[in-house]
Formats: sequence, C-alpha cells, structure tokens
Amino acid sequence: MRGLGLALVLVAAFTIVLGIGGLPPRLDPEGPVHTHVGARYAERGLEETGLRNLVAAVLLVYRGFDTFLEVVVIFTALVAVLALPSGVIGGTSWREPDAETSEPDAETSESGDRRAAAVVDRPDTGVPVSNVVGFVVRLLAPFIAVFAAALLYRGHVTPGGGFQAAAIFGALFIALGLVLGRAKADRLVPRGVRPYLQAMGPLAFALVGLLGWRLTGAFLGYPSEASAYVLREAMVVAVEVGIAVGGAVILARLFQALEGR
Amino acid sequence: MELFGFDLDYVAFMILFCIGLHMLVVKSNLLKKLLGLNVMETAVFAFIITSGMVDSGDPPILVAGTNPPFANPIPQAMVLTGIVVAVSVTAVALALIVQIHAHYGTIEVSELKERP
Repeated sequence: MRGLGLALVLVAAFTIVLGIGGLPPRLDPEGPVHTHVGARYAERGLEETGLRNLVAAVLLVYRGFDTFLEVVVIFTALVAVLALPSGVIGGTSWREPDAETSEPDAETSESGDRRAAAVVDRPDTGVPVSNVVGFVVRLLAPFIAVFAAALLYRGHVTPGGGFQAAAIFGALFIALGLVLGRAKADRLVPRGVRPYLQAMGPLAFALVGLLGWRLTGAFLGYPSEASAYVLREAMVVAVEVGIAVGGAVILARLFQALEGR
Repeated sequence: MELFGFDLDYVAFMILFCIGLHMLVVKSNLLKKLLGLNVMETAVFAFIITSGMVDSGDPPILVAGTNPPFANPIPQAMVLTGIVVAVSVTAVALALIVQIHAHYGTIEVSELKERP
C-alpha cells in the first residue's frame, strides 16, 4: 500500500511538473490572465456594477449564478448533515471513555463551590472550561462581532464581504458555544427563526434575483441606470447580508450537529 | 523566483498537493484522509490565487491609493467559491465519519475492511 501510494504521488508530481512547465510566466502584466476578461473587469467593472471591490463585483454581478449555487451547496451540506441520525448513539459520547471518567465525583463534591467560582463548567458535558480561554473569548467576542460586521458593511469598498463575515461570525458562535455551554449559546439564535436564518443565503439570492428579473428582464440582473444607484446598492447589501447571516448560522449548526446534537 | 526553470511558488504548491495526496492514499485513519484532502484543496486554492497575481500590482479594489495593474479578481472569486465547497465537503465527510465511528467503533480503514 505504501509503495503504491508513493508511486501514485510520484506520477502526480511528474504530471503537475509537466503542467506547470507549460504555463505562461507568472506575474507578467501582459500574460493571458491579465489581458483576457480580467482586464475588462478592471476597466469597466466600477462603471458596470458600481462596486469598488472587483472581487465582490465578479462574485455578485458578473458571476452571480455561480455564487447563488455556491450558497445552495453549503445549505445542501447542512441538510445532508442534519439528515443523518445523531452521531451520539445510546448515550455513548464521541469522547474517549478515559476523558469522561478522569473527572471523579469526589473532586466536584469536595471543592465544588470553589471550582464553580473559579472555573466555568459547561453544564452539558461537565468538562471544565479553562479560565483563560473563557475570559479571552468573552473579552474578544464584541470585538470579533464588530470586525465581522465591518467586513460585511464595508465589503463592497474594502477587502471583505459576506462570506468572510460569515466565517468570522460562525467562528464566534462556535467559540461562544464552547465557553458558555449549549443552553446559553442556543439562545443566541432562537429556535423559531433558525430554519429561516439557515436558508437565508439562498432565500436572499432568490429574492434579489427575482427582483432583478422584474426590473431588468434577467434573473439576478441589476438595474444599471445611474438613478437606480440606491436600489442597486440595496440589492447588493441584501445578498451580502443573506450570505453572512445564513453562512454563519449554517457553520454554527454544522458544528453543533457534529457534536451530536 | 525560479527553480530549475519552474516557478518556485508553483513548485511549492505541487509539493503541498503531493503531501495531501500521500495522506489521502496511504493513511488508514479516515480523519487523516480528510485532512489530506483539505491539504490538497489548499494547494489548489493557493495555485489559482497565485496565478492571478501581477508584478507590483495592487489588490483589485478601485479606491484612492490603488493603481493599475490590478491582481485579477476572477481567480479570487473562484477560490471563494471553492472554499465554500471545500467546507461543505469537509462537513459532510466529518458527519459520515462520526456515523461510521458510532456504527463500527473505529475509523481505521484497515479495521473496517475486516467487518462484515
């Protein structure tokens, strides 16, 4: 098996070396990468889309269908994960048995009060959360949230955007869930609205796409007149917010599902 | 920078890709296989992003202070798509690995093969 694997890797390496040997020189401003359609985006992207961040312009306007289906892909992944039966069967936990028994009851009963004051327990697992981790996560949480919101809000004029904000918001949800325990973390995203939030990416895209259809006759079309500047901006922001909120909730939910909930 | 006539960055990504492929093929642990897959994906993303860079270029954001030539925005947008797909694949694969562990009590392929 090892020999076979090594042989396969060598074949792959050889093939890739042949491939990269035939590529045009990198970093050359006259290379095909920069003279083909990319040059047109740089020239007319601002005028055609009104977005100063050309990556966002490509993502939301020029290749909007691609992004729409990409949002559908991650939503489908969540549906697939949730469709599987829960990972915890018959009460057996994913954790190694040693880790669970290594916390004797004597310790908790003896110095339970002192420990409760010093260490924040996750009530659901009984595994204590380190003071340092708990403090740092609580301290940084508002800053992380502001950073994610800034990435989202300024995404069309600076580096950033919906997906980046989604990743950071999702990480924040997961970190808070680890530190605060499941019950409190669940309250961050109320159960009633959770299904709608999880589907928010595809929903926002579909709504904006249909609105564009109504206005311009093309699905995901954006009105190009200068007078429709505000409307176009609002459509872009709606899609970005949908991606950010939907993506963040999906990421947090995926993590919960893998924990066995 | 060049190495034997090949772009050094491309060679680095080729090596990274091969490391991931080796993990994917040789390792028996399903989690390690998944890690290998992610390493391969990272190599591909880095390759695509790098191919769109330009000498003394600016990020493709048209604000005061940035001037042509701009890095190509298309590879960056494509990689963003790719990353989301990679996350989806990883999530589904992890969920399946959890299922396999709950069912068979192991995630080693060598041990799984012996089970009925």
